[in-house]
Amino acid sequence: MNRKRIIDIIIILVLACAPLFLNTYWVDVLNNIGIYAILALSLNFILGHTGLFHMGHAAFYAIGAYTTAILNTMYHIPIIWLMPLSGVLAGIFGYLVARPIIHLRGDYLLIVTIGIVEIVRIALVNNIFGITGGSNGIFGISRPKLWGFVIRRPQDFFYYIWIFLGISVYLFYRLENSRFGRALNYIKEDDLAAEGSGVDSSGYKLKAFIIGAIWAGFVGNIYASKMTIISPESFSFWESVILFVIVILGGSGSMRGIILGSFLIIGLPELFRQFASARMLIFGAAMVVMMIFRPQGIIPPKPRTYNLDFLKLGEAEK
Amino acid sequence: MELFIQQLTNGLAIGGIYALIALGYTMVYGVMKLINFAHGDLFSIGAYLGLTLLLSLGLVDKIGVLGGILLLMLMVMGLVGIIGIILERVAYRPLRKADRLSAVVSALGASIFFANSLMLIYGAKFRVYPHNILPKMAVDILGMKIPLIRILLLLASFILMTALYLFVQKTKTGTAIRAAAIDQGAAKLMGINVNKIISIVFFIGPALGGAAGIMVGLYYGQINFLMGWLYGLKAFIAAVIGGIGNIPGAMLGGIILGVVESLGAAYVSFAWKDAIAFLVLIIILIVRPTGILGERVAEKV
Amino acid sequence: MKKTLVSLLVVVGLFFNFGPAFGKTIKIGLLCPLTGSWASEGQDMEKIVTLLADELNAKGGLLGSEVEIVVEDDGGDPRTAALAAQRLSAQDIVGVIGTYGSSVTEATQAIFDEAKIIQIANGSTAIRLTEKGLKYFFRTSPRDDEQGRVAANYLTGKGFKRIAILHDNTTYAKGLADETKSLLEKKGANIVFYDALTPGERDYSAILTNLKAANPDVVFFTGYYPEAGLLLRQKKEMGWNVPFIGGDATNNPDLVKIAGKDAAEGFMFLSPPVPQDLDSKEAKDFLAAYKKKYGDLPGSVWAVLSGDGFLALTTAIKATKSTDSDVLADYLHNKLKDMPGLTGKISFDSKGDRVGDLYRIYKVDANGNFVLQ
Repeated sequence: MNRKRIIDIIIILVLACAPLFLNTYWVDVLNNIGIYAILALSLNFILGHTGLFHMGHAAFYAIGAYTTAILNTMYHIPIIWLMPLSGVLAGIFGYLVARPIIHLRGDYLLIVTIGIVEIVRIALVNNIFGITGGSNGIFGISRPKLWGFVIRRPQDFFYYIWIFLGISVYLFYRLENSRFGRALNYIKEDDLAAEGSGVDSSGYKLKAFIIGAIWAGFVGNIYASKMTIISPESFSFWESVILFVIVILGGSGSMRGIILGSFLIIGLPELFRQFASARMLIFGAAMVVMMIFRPQGIIPPKPRTYNLDFLKLGEAEK
Repeated sequence: MELFIQQLTNGLAIGGIYALIALGYTMVYGVMKLINFAHGDLFSIGAYLGLTLLLSLGLVDKIGVLGGILLLMLMVMGLVGIIGIILERVAYRPLRKADRLSAVVSALGASIFFANSLMLIYGAKFRVYPHNILPKMAVDILGMKIPLIRILLLLASFILMTALYLFVQKTKTGTAIRAAAIDQGAAKLMGINVNKIISIVFFIGPALGGAAGIMVGLYYGQINFLMGWLYGLKAFIAAVIGGIGNIPGAMLGGIILGVVESLGAAYVSFAWKDAIAFLVLIIILIVRPTGILGERVAEKV
Repeated sequence: MKKTLVSLLVVVGLFFNFGPAFGKTIKIGLLCPLTGSWASEGQDMEKIVTLLADELNAKGGLLGSEVEIVVEDDGGDPRTAALAAQRLSAQDIVGVIGTYGSSVTEATQAIFDEAKIIQIANGSTAIRLTEKGLKYFFRTSPRDDEQGRVAANYLTGKGFKRIAILHDNTTYAKGLADETKSLLEKKGANIVFYDALTPGERDYSAILTNLKAANPDVVFFTGYYPEAGLLLRQKKEMGWNVPFIGGDATNNPDLVKIAGKDAAEGFMFLSPPVPQDLDSKEAKDFLAAYKKKYGDLPGSVWAVLSGDGFLALTTAIKATKSTDSDVLADYLHNKLKDMPGLTGKISFDSKGDRVGDLYRIYKVDANGNFVLQ
């Protein structure tokens, strides 16, 4: 047990008890933070680990949310069953759009992903296929039901969202430290060298994209059932920018940093509410200041370390 | 056919403005490899400063329309340029050695800051430039009436762009800018003061954005604190279509984007206009991954 | 990690600091967009409601206690609005006024309903908001179908045959455009153009060029005044003379400023009456007080409707001598009849919609004034 682990446990315990001493409003703020944290973690896979400049993550989130909303309101399929489907559809969509553009470099990829999120939003606004409800969006989405228990109040959602966040952290942690995660980091550091060492860089990039998209689709499902009404303005380019900022500001590649980043980017505007119409001004200035003082993000990822104790001298020589 | 030509001229007018803003993006990108998301807001600041100066100084009454507007434009360009230099000093210089994306986040923060400070200073309402400053004449071209102002607008954009191109290609400072764009380290070794070059770039880019701002204000009349975001995004697309970092590319990209928007809207659908523009962008990038003219042609000269 | 712990403690500390404070006041919430693209509307709403509350307090307040307005910013976006609504619900308020956009209001409806808080929206015209059977929800704005009906009747009544409809793809404008289109089609009118512009742009000459090519007798634009002003201005520049008619989102004096007097002349729009047109004492007093305090006239009619929401709620509290939501809701539904408001007489039906014929036709004259037809 090192100090870091102890602090993590304390934070988890404090969070777990949070609904007991916070009012509904602050619990709902925490819910929003949780939702953005999961989204940012899924973006982190693409942006932080693989180094793909992706500023259109809200597109996948939108696909997940609309899949859930449409199937739930038209065919009354329970929300929980729709979660895997939302993820899969978002993943398929991610594959289809990423396939032709995955070879684009840096900023060109950035602008294309912005294009994708805008095209998705415009398609939703224009009521594509007559099923998205146009700018009105879709309403009357039901609440998730787990073993007979309907998740309804913000306090219920708090545990639903944060437990999902916990599961995501665990899975992403496993993935990060797998062969797959190492390959992604290699691509980020040096695309050509990775290719030269036999890493199929396009294939890995595409896989990272799909995993990120699937996870954003899951969150879309949670969001739709939490709000019970969704409309295209919740999935604008600006939402993608917020996610992008969370990842970079928190510390790209570092899960602790990204969760803290969500607290700052989603929480600060709420704390600044007392400044009324000046609150976004202060928020913008705070963003610049935080970046200047922590250019690598608030909690940058630690370099990978490997325990070499098991290598005994004799064995190394063999 | 008449509809087509009419829409083409509409597209050219819009494209001229996009191109002018795109130049600022491209110049900054060329030297710093930074997507300056605050650039659109510098454009808004230009529009608002232009309005303030226009109303408070009364230049147009004192020295005539053409001279007044020209002087006004120079003043706004100077002021916005200075804001650009300050922006670079405060928000970007400390991040020059950091990851490229850190500066992008700083730029986004600066963008939020600028837009909201405009809102707090000038109010959230739409502000309006005085009417009847510009002459309302129309010129007959091929039997169509085209407002003189549109032609002047496009002409002004082209003059500014050509001046910039010549400056970068023919002067000593321009050569230094190109050198810094290729390799800052090597430029330093050649005795170029890279910090000074970056300041110059951050003066010129925002100044052009400010000029575009006052042109939009004078011609369209209505300005708003949030307008920079949309114009900035469009200008960024224009810069990328042409090949980011490339001055003729920004001009070409702006014009193409404007024309694609108006023709796409007119012949396909207005509601899908921006989606069409983005689709064209994506197709161009799939076919030519670094834009039509390629990145930074200047470096090969 | 120490830093993280410290900042966490700071955040937790702030939670407590921001908790509800209890006092001997009657709290009324105001949910409005103070930032974002509708900031100008929200800031007007805040001005109007605080002005009315100050006046009320100067006269001795409500039931012997002061009225306090708790303002929350909804940012014009559903997610922020839902948070703002949670924040208001936690503050022991009697009712809430607002908000502006329909989808933004919709995101807050369930929260206020669950907390049993009266909500009186002012700018949300989407039909379905009052079709859900929510007991505590009211609105002072008319519905899209009402305006659509008036618009369709007016357009066909004037003998226009070829009608172009232009909207901007926002919830409100699209709703009104769809409503009007289907009614017009039933009446056998010829819709020669139906499309959306992109709000927030400056150059609409492309869409005007196509509109002109469609050769309509009249253009009905259902969007907002900034775009309407630009359309009028650029239409004039093209030398095209076609009657333009707008919905109530164009009812804002800034329309004339943007278009210019010569381009705005002859423009017509449908709208509930603004205080300037009403002879009632309430409207006149309000205008005088507003001018005295802020130095100009209120902007759009929707911001003024938030004032009506405040008046309806405080009238109900006064009459029932209660701050209980059920009592108040019952009063507003059944007993409030023809209360003199800033935009005419106010009563609500069982759904919470405003009752009565509201719409008037206005025309802009050569001096840029809105003249009731």
